[in-house]
Amino acid sequence: MHVEYPKYKWTDRFLLLDMLEGLKTTFRELFKPKVTIRYPEERLEPADRFRGMFRFSFDRCIACKLCAVACPIDIIYIDVHDETREIDGKNKKIKVLDRYDIDVKRCMFCSLCEEACPTKPKSIWLTTKTYELATHDRSDLYFNMQQLEYWDDRPRYEELGAAFEEPSGHELPGGAD
Amino acid sequence: MIPEPLMRYLVWPTVKFLVAFVIVQVVVAAMTYIERRVLAFMQARLGPNRVGPWGLFQAIADPVKLMLKEDIVPANAEKVGYFLGPMLPLIPAFVVFCLIPFGPPPTFVVTHVNVGLLLILALTSTGVYGIILGGWASNNKFSLMGGLRSAAQMVSYEVPFGLSIVGVLMLTGSFDLVRIVRYQESHAWNVLPQLVGCFIFLVAMTAENNRAPFDLPEAESELVAGFHTEYSGMKFAFYFLAEYAAMLVNSCLMVSLFFGGWSLGGVIMGRQVGLTTVNLQHLGLLGGVIGATIFLVKVMLFMVAYIWFRGTFPRFRFDQFMDLGLKWMIPLSLVNIVVTGILILAGAGTRYPAMGEVVLTLFGIVVIAAVILFLMKGPKPKARPAGVAHARRVSEV
Repeated sequence: MHVEYPKYKWTDRFLLLDMLEGLKTTFRELFKPKVTIRYPEERLEPADRFRGMFRFSFDRCIACKLCAVACPIDIIYIDVHDETREIDGKNKKIKVLDRYDIDVKRCMFCSLCEEACPTKPKSIWLTTKTYELATHDRSDLYFNMQQLEYWDDRPRYEELGAAFEEPSGHELPGGAD
Repeated sequence: MIPEPLMRYLVWPTVKFLVAFVIVQVVVAAMTYIERRVLAFMQARLGPNRVGPWGLFQAIADPVKLMLKEDIVPANAEKVGYFLGPMLPLIPAFVVFCLIPFGPPPTFVVTHVNVGLLLILALTSTGVYGIILGGWASNNKFSLMGGLRSAAQMVSYEVPFGLSIVGVLMLTGSFDLVRIVRYQESHAWNVLPQLVGCFIFLVAMTAENNRAPFDLPEAESELVAGFHTEYSGMKFAFYFLAEYAAMLVNSCLMVSLFFGGWSLGGVIMGRQVGLTTVNLQHLGLLGGVIGATIFLVKVMLFMVAYIWFRGTFPRFRFDQFMDLGLKWMIPLSLVNIVVTGILILAGAGTRYPAMGEVVLTLFGIVVIAAVILFLMKGPKPKARPAGVAHARRVSEV
């Protein structure tokens, strides 16, 4: 590969203009805003499509198990039983979730479960903007249905309100339940 | 009561030295914090901010950690040399503070020696022995190479360091730092007539202290840490202390020789304007304290300049470094001496005896103005590309 080296003028050798330029650059850098932040006191808000902690909605879920099928590492455990209920004056046979567990410690946050979910809006989604998932115990990372739906003790961002409750960009006009 | 000579030659110098010693310790402790913080700011990060308000207690946390650390001596080290290594550079670094005028004499000078500058030059150059000894006694090839580099550096930069001062000596006609400062009060700061000397002094003093971009004896990427690879705990702290004390000495010299010492002001129309010795005398001790404060502020500016250079320039390759010292700095300083001498003598017999100094000063002003103009022009700095830095920050939950 041909490399173009910058041409040096004979004055560059002892006039040290480049060095002065460098000093100017670092001096200006002193007063610019910094890139890093004081993490526990300040946190950066993740991007809208950031994949954070799971959030699950029992009401929306139709227990189709598509997410468990889509999961490449099989960490979604679903148990279902059939039940006959009266809905709109008719007896209907519906599936009821007994168990919806995710072994989050093995999860790679690929979001394929969210993609596979047929409900609108999704009943399982990862765009919660929550990334502080570290625990002191491995077993704390096994989440059951209730924990997946209500993990209010997890760090959350009050300012983000709506995005926290609903996955943004997933709602279609008139497609709500 | 204590007899008068004893007071004059023993008690007062001891008290003054102890005060200077404490000030040096405080400045060194503060510098550990300031260095890390300023360097971080230049690199677009925040630096230490966890310990205390704005991370200020980092200056205490660092020495405490070093004191509590286990002191490991390598098995095959030369025990005596290994022990003496960190001590040797410390002694000259602290003794030199007896000779530096922190403020108007006699109160703020520990010992007023009329060849003070010679003594300081002699003492500071002995600091390198500790580095060579420590590097050799560690029984480690990288450490030895660090020590050898330090020696080579000292030999090649001691010469321009001394020669750059000669111009000042010719102008002021004295080795006495107090008289040099007084001269600058009654004329102009020596940086104007001796701009070239000041520049050489700046480069040589950075090289003498083994500071970046001339930190070849402790080049992390080449020699791991050079002469102090094997040192830990308090022994390492002593090397650290000696380095910063030597930096402080050289900054003090820089301020005394070229930047008007404890005075802030000069001569306009034959009258002294600003905070000079004559104007401060009416205030008594308070005036002295003001002078010492001005001196310390100037010194701290040069200490920050060390960090500025470290944050800006990449390390020299060793041959480039020797090239700069022997082929550029020494001839340049010799030319400076000759030109200064000719100009001073040219005006000596004529109706305008200060003609040479005026020409030198005008040259200095022109060069400084050109540099400032060069720095002012050029494209406006671009803002940092939008990205992480502009992401919304969420406060504590």
